[in-house]
Amino acid sequence: MKDQHIISQMKQRDRNALKEVYKGYKIEFFKFASRYTSDTDLLEDIFQDAIIVLYENALTGKLDELKSSLKTYLFSTGKFMIFKKFRDTKEIATDETYIFDQSEIVVINDVYEDQGPNEYQQKIIENFKKLGDKCREILELFYLKGLKLEEIMSVQGYENKNVVKSQKSRCLKSLKELTHAKNG
Amino acid sequence: MQRMDNEELINGYFEGSLSEEQKREFDHLFETNPDFKTDFEFQEELKRALVKSERKQLKQILSNTNVPQEKEKSQVIHLRPWLVAASLVLLVGISSWLIFFNRPDIDSQQLYASNFAPYENVVHPIERGEQLEDLKTRAFIAYENESYQQAIELFKTLNDKNNDKYIIFYEAISLMQLNKHREATPLLESYIEDNGELKDRAIWYLALTYLKLNKIEECKEQLNLLAHREGFKTKAAKNLLAELN
Repeated sequence: MKDQHIISQMKQRDRNALKEVYKGYKIEFFKFASRYTSDTDLLEDIFQDAIIVLYENALTGKLDELKSSLKTYLFSTGKFMIFKKFRDTKEIATDETYIFDQSEIVVINDVYEDQGPNEYQQKIIENFKKLGDKCREILELFYLKGLKLEEIMSVQGYENKNVVKSQKSRCLKSLKELTHAKNG
Repeated sequence: MQRMDNEELINGYFEGSLSEEQKREFDHLFETNPDFKTDFEFQEELKRALVKSERKQLKQILSNTNVPQEKEKSQVIHLRPWLVAASLVLLVGISSWLIFFNRPDIDSQQLYASNFAPYENVVHPIERGEQLEDLKTRAFIAYENESYQQAIELFKTLNDKNNDKYIIFYEAISLMQLNKHREATPLLESYIEDNGELKDRAIWYLALTYLKLNKIEECKEQLNLLAHREGFKTKAAKNLLAELN
């Protein structure tokens, strides 16, 4: 498993990359983390969350110039979450610890605290699935992958930024109508 | 700098590309213009919804990922009835990419059940009433009558007196019928190693045995052997592989 290869697979939203990381590091992570807790359900949850953090930060390009190994990043994320869980501030720095920047910590906290979509968000998702392929794509690229309109223009081969802008605006309008029509 | 319309301001917010001045304008509109506020909040909800729903999906995928060499936890997940129906539909061969995104959880027991059928007696045709009730005939009559316990004993006796390779193959299938997959494994392996005439059949049943024992990686290894040659169960093997991947 080559770190950079996995990161670039993740940027393509290739879910196999997540499975590879899961298979490759699970046993070792459990061994590593067992000195903090023996609750395996908790460890499973945290390990999965750490992979999602890895994925989301890879997706938005934050790991393009990763200064450590992927493993260190993953394990440090897990450890950060374990400490958060136990509100334990001692022993923060060990050789496994990666220093996260503020934007990475935002993602870690957000994943850690995520309780799943609420009712309204679920409704949005249901209606989102009814949109055409092009709409889903453009909205995902913008809101999920965090691409700028100009980047979407060059990735998707639109003529100019205004075409992307109005396309996105139309998609958003349909989604809004679908979502709120059901309310009434 | 060129003045932005409200939509551009919101786009700029999500892109993280607003200048200080634009940020102030954004805050001002947010406080004073209810339409602007509603528009922005809807987009923020959309973003949250997309992110959270993807996380949920990813966690499901990870929860169903088998880690090799880790045996303390059974990976069997019980399917709801509609998922069983869905998995049968999937067997028909939707592309693996689509399967990947809409895939129900892997349930090895269910997959086993929908793929396993005892192999028919092709080596010793029985015409009832006419043939001598020799040992071989009795063994295959028992096999065909689904009296597998009796068949196993007869195959064992037969195997001591006769060195036809296929005997252990049918003994293995009988063991599978009785849910004794651990005992069936070495028989199938040795039949395959001996290059028995029904070798490809044996590979298929060995794959199913591994599936039943939840040894997914070993199962896939055997299925790959079948998938890469044109012949017995090639298509079934490919479909099953797609389910497992």
